[in-house]
Amino acid sequence: MIAQEMWDFRVKLAGEGIIFCYSGFMTEEVLFGIGNTLKKKLAMEQADKRIARGVFSLFVEQVQNVIRYSTELPHDDPDPDYLKNELRYGLLSIGKKDNRYFVACANKVPNQDVTRMRSNLAKIQGMDKAGLKSLYKELLRSEVPEGSKGAGVGFVEIARRATRGFDFDFYKTDADHSYFAIKAYI
Amino acid sequence: MKDSSRMDIVKIDATDRSPEIEFDFLNNIYSLSGESYPENTASLYVPLIEKLAGHLELQQETRIEFTFELIYFNSSSARVILKLFDLLDKAAENNEVIINWCFEEDDDAMEELGEEFGEDLVNAVFNLKPKS
Repeated sequence: MIAQEMWDFRVKLAGEGIIFCYSGFMTEEVLFGIGNTLKKKLAMEQADKRIARGVFSLFVEQVQNVIRYSTELPHDDPDPDYLKNELRYGLLSIGKKDNRYFVACANKVPNQDVTRMRSNLAKIQGMDKAGLKSLYKELLRSEVPEGSKGAGVGFVEIARRATRGFDFDFYKTDADHSYFAIKAYI
Repeated sequence: MKDSSRMDIVKIDATDRSPEIEFDFLNNIYSLSGESYPENTASLYVPLIEKLAGHLELQQETRIEFTFELIYFNSSSARVILKLFDLLDKAAENNEVIINWCFEEDDDAMEELGEEFGEDLVNAVFNLKPKS
């Protein structure tokens, strides 16, 4: 039973072209471990160096986005530890389908952040290369701390690296949270 | 991580996710080489940037050379790099400042990042250096 369940799961993942899948708490250790394995896998596939570095970059920025959300919670939160873990829980998948590599990440976000995130991401999505470059530098020079509520520089980095664009979406899971997903293509 | 800091030379060995850092304050030769996506960007770079900023302010008509030889860096590290460019360009108002940006010949993305950071420099000399 277990073996068949796992096999079915594996077949489902393979059908989506998924090479790596991780669901759990996102930490710097996880980032580092999967990152190293991803590099080796891409080298084994003899992926074009530019593509390999792009995929790696998308992976780092997406995972660090999830990690940072947990660290930017307001200090007056009534139950910081619980929420911290709840928000730090992420789902990551990396794969290749239809001749494109993709990196996707999903995590819960507070509902109150959805409108702002949606408008920032839509803005970034609509920008051309020159616009992204100037926004990138503007955000790098701003004193706003990493992961704060602005249009994160991480998302701009994702937009710049995703040579075949990116999609994002929100799905309301309960009264306080939505599930946020982003998928970027190279 | 080995951190052999003396008064005028800071050398920090590279790790799998942080670059080799060599800041020779005595000869004004500085370099960052390798990959940069450290677990904690601020704790690695902020003390160094502060020390460098204080040191550069005291320099007059000196030759200052900074070499970047990076393979990959994340967006938090990009913030640090741009900050270094801005500091160096300011120092170039009354010093001879040379910034070298080395990249692997076939790494267009790294070349482009160099161009993007370099285009804002007013006073410093900027060299894009492909290496095969």
